[in-house]
Amino acid sequence: MTTKKTAGVEDSYQIEGKMALPYSYFAGRVGSKFITTLRDQKKIMGVKCPACNTVYVPPRQVCDVDFTDIRDAWVELESTGTVKNFTVVRYDDKHLPRKAPFVLALIQLEGAGTPFAHILEECKIEDVRIGMKVEAVFAKETTQTILDIDHFKPAAEKASIHEVNARRKQWVPTDEPAEASTRKGGKPDMSKPVIITAALTGAATMRNQNPSVPYKPEEFAEEAYKCWKAGAAMVHVHAREDGGMATHDHARIKATYDAIKDKCPELIVCLSSAVGMGKTAEQRISQIVYIKPDMASLNTNTMNFGIVDRKTGKIFIDYVFENTFGMLQDFGKVMEENGVKPEIECYDMGGLDNTLMIGKQGIFSDPMNFNFVWGVAGGQQFRTEAFIAMMNALPPKANFTTCGVGMDQYPCIMQSCILGGHMRVGLEDNIRMPNGALAKGSYEQVEVAVNIANCLGRPVATTDEARLIMGLRKR
Amino acid sequence: MGKRLAVCAVAQIKNHPDYHDWRFQNMLLECFEPIVEETKVTFDMDKGIRTIITCSDDMFDARTISDNGITDVVGAHFRGEEKMAQESINGLGYAMACILSGHDDVILFMGHCKESQGESRRMISNLAYDPFYCRPLGMDYHNVDALQARAYMEKSKVTDEHLAKVVVRSRANGKKNPYGRENKIVSEKDVLNSPMYSDPLREMHIYPVTDWAYGMLLCSEKRAKEFTKKPVWITGYGSCMDRYFLGDRDIASNFSLKNAAKRAYAMAGIKDPRKDVQVFELSDQAAHQLPMWAEGVGIAEEGRGGQWIDDGGMERFNVNLSGGQLNGNPLLLGGAARALECYYQLSGQAGKRQVKGAKRAVAQAATGGAGQHQAVIVMEA
Ligand SMILES: [Zn+2]
Ligand SMILES: [Zn+2]
Repeated sequence: MTTKKTAGVEDSYQIEGKMALPYSYFAGRVGSKFITTLRDQKKIMGVKCPACNTVYVPPRQVCDVDFTDIRDAWVELESTGTVKNFTVVRYDDKHLPRKAPFVLALIQLEGAGTPFAHILEECKIEDVRIGMKVEAVFAKETTQTILDIDHFKPAAEKASIHEVNARRKQWVPTDEPAEASTRKGGKPDMSKPVIITAALTGAATMRNQNPSVPYKPEEFAEEAYKCWKAGAAMVHVHAREDGGMATHDHARIKATYDAIKDKCPELIVCLSSAVGMGKTAEQRISQIVYIKPDMASLNTNTMNFGIVDRKTGKIFIDYVFENTFGMLQDFGKVMEENGVKPEIECYDMGGLDNTLMIGKQGIFSDPMNFNFVWGVAGGQQFRTEAFIAMMNALPPKANFTTCGVGMDQYPCIMQSCILGGHMRVGLEDNIRMPNGALAKGSYEQVEVAVNIANCLGRPVATTDEARLIMGLRKR
Repeated sequence: MGKRLAVCAVAQIKNHPDYHDWRFQNMLLECFEPIVEETKVTFDMDKGIRTIITCSDDMFDARTISDNGITDVVGAHFRGEEKMAQESINGLGYAMACILSGHDDVILFMGHCKESQGESRRMISNLAYDPFYCRPLGMDYHNVDALQARAYMEKSKVTDEHLAKVVVRSRANGKKNPYGRENKIVSEKDVLNSPMYSDPLREMHIYPVTDWAYGMLLCSEKRAKEFTKKPVWITGYGSCMDRYFLGDRDIASNFSLKNAAKRAYAMAGIKDPRKDVQVFELSDQAAHQLPMWAEGVGIAEEGRGGQWIDDGGMERFNVNLSGGQLNGNPLLLGGAARALECYYQLSGQAGKRQVKGAKRAVAQAATGGAGQHQAVIVMEA
């Protein structure tokens, strides 16, 4: 202690003192568990009230809403969370853990019912926003306080598929026949990139089924772009009129094609040569010649192509999809002559055999690209052994991808990915996510496909790799 | 009635940034003597003051059991003495319980605080937080009020411009209050250009460091005429404590204030505060709290505090004509300062600030960061 003369009152003194008291403070049994778990295991724990389902962080012994004893109702929380509120402390003081300015935020951890206060760092103050995702950074050494979480920082954004691809070595073609033989032996090359295609619309999926179905060219461009961002190398397109009807109008199809290419120049576009119900052969192929897309679908069999209630067998739409040998031959030739690689659509083994038979004329350039389509009413439903039989019937250098109508979509693409094939998703085939919820767009299904590839350790093909693999013309 | 207690006399010293050459004992004595002189109250154990309630804070006084330093000057030796270690407004609630229960019938209620004594009032409020979860993060009443400000301003469309209005008006009103702290008169532009303190609060949005003391003589209805010709009545008191952890409560909701006001209004028989009350004194420790507490006591529409300021609500309802806590009262004493202003208004002694024909007034105050504990009293002429 010191004394100091008071200005203006020269015979008075002010005592300059300091209050300081070392102390021990029992954290309580509930608090102790929180503290030691944080310190020793770097885990953040809360308690969940079984009566009102509130998850309390920091934990406590009793829920003050319903007086339920919750001391043992421990739940582990994620170390990531969301900023619910924040202030920027711009003054310095001795009780503050950081030099000003620093951000003090209310952060709600994933799984917690309420936010708690902590420091937010490693980002510019101007960039702090309510709603931003953050993650805990644990202290290297214990502090005996909540600062065992040293601070929170912005959560690492999951690296985009494009960033992942930029970091890995680009795929180069290998000896194809050797690959075909390992494929038959059931030992596909998992290092070969998997091409993800998004079929944005088809001819029949309408907005009342899923509001994300694009109709206008700019809507196609936007959806296509989202799919490319999510990891698709190719989109498959049936152009629509403003009202949603499938169209064979050259100008409209070109406008749609160009809109996609303008928005996302590298993306591969595969146009449908089926277009929609009731189109003539001329209407179906002339637009392909007019636009000369990277790729176009080529159908291999005249078949029923209806809509039938799978549970009752009741027929809603009875329609024959005409694809004669002549059309297979003529469309195939015209496509190859115009530098448009056919995507050969096989709805069953017969379609594949038709292609091999007519292909003896030497119409198709290597590598041929097949798409196994499952679940069309008139084609076959997805069966794993049917898939393998078709795969084993492919010519040596051929590629295969697959798509399935409705809930066949996810099992069939997963099987294809396991077997070294490629994957097609999109609202043309299925409007839902694996959990049955409506997909927010084809891009959300692309994300599922990327997930499948990630699970199997297969790289997702860039557009350049996809062009190499499928033998498309260079961009 | 009978369920009311009388405020017979009040005294205070001027709110001041730093009474460096006054002990807080002196500050109290300056309030004690005028009350004794005015009311001729004695310390006779049969008819005089037998119970004294004091309000002070250990940390600001830099000694625990802070009342120990002042019991002599407030006449508390050899008789009952209780210390209110919470917002002073609760001392009135405590006195009310004491008198209406018949425990005693005359009470001297005194309080003091020298915010200037501590090196940092923020460090003091930091100590209000637990040593594990909150204190190490540097939480104090200012940065916690700032978190509330962000949430409330978003909810009630209160802007930086609104807060500037509140500050300008507080200082202008404070100038008219002979006991008001001397502050620089500022323009809205000055406020808007002043430095940020703890976003979205600027330094000027927070009440300044202030030293102050007050005294009040309270008694039962029956004995009021012994001490004054014109008592002012306390007819209602209500309080409510919200949860401790900030994340556990909706800090923009006024939950505890609404509850406190409801109880006080029920006790005083107030149905619609907008019609039944002519003066409101709200403890705006930070500028955003003026419209926020106005919503809480029921004179601004829920979620429309910004619009309420634009519509002239502060004038229409005679809010904080004293300058409010924002003009400068120490922590814990804002509620007593509010009650004193209500007393002046209801007894016709408010000078330039006088609201003509004021019959009823409401004083409100909060303890803890972001208004965790709230209390409301109703006073009547
Ligand atoms: Zn509960
Ligand atoms: Zn199609």
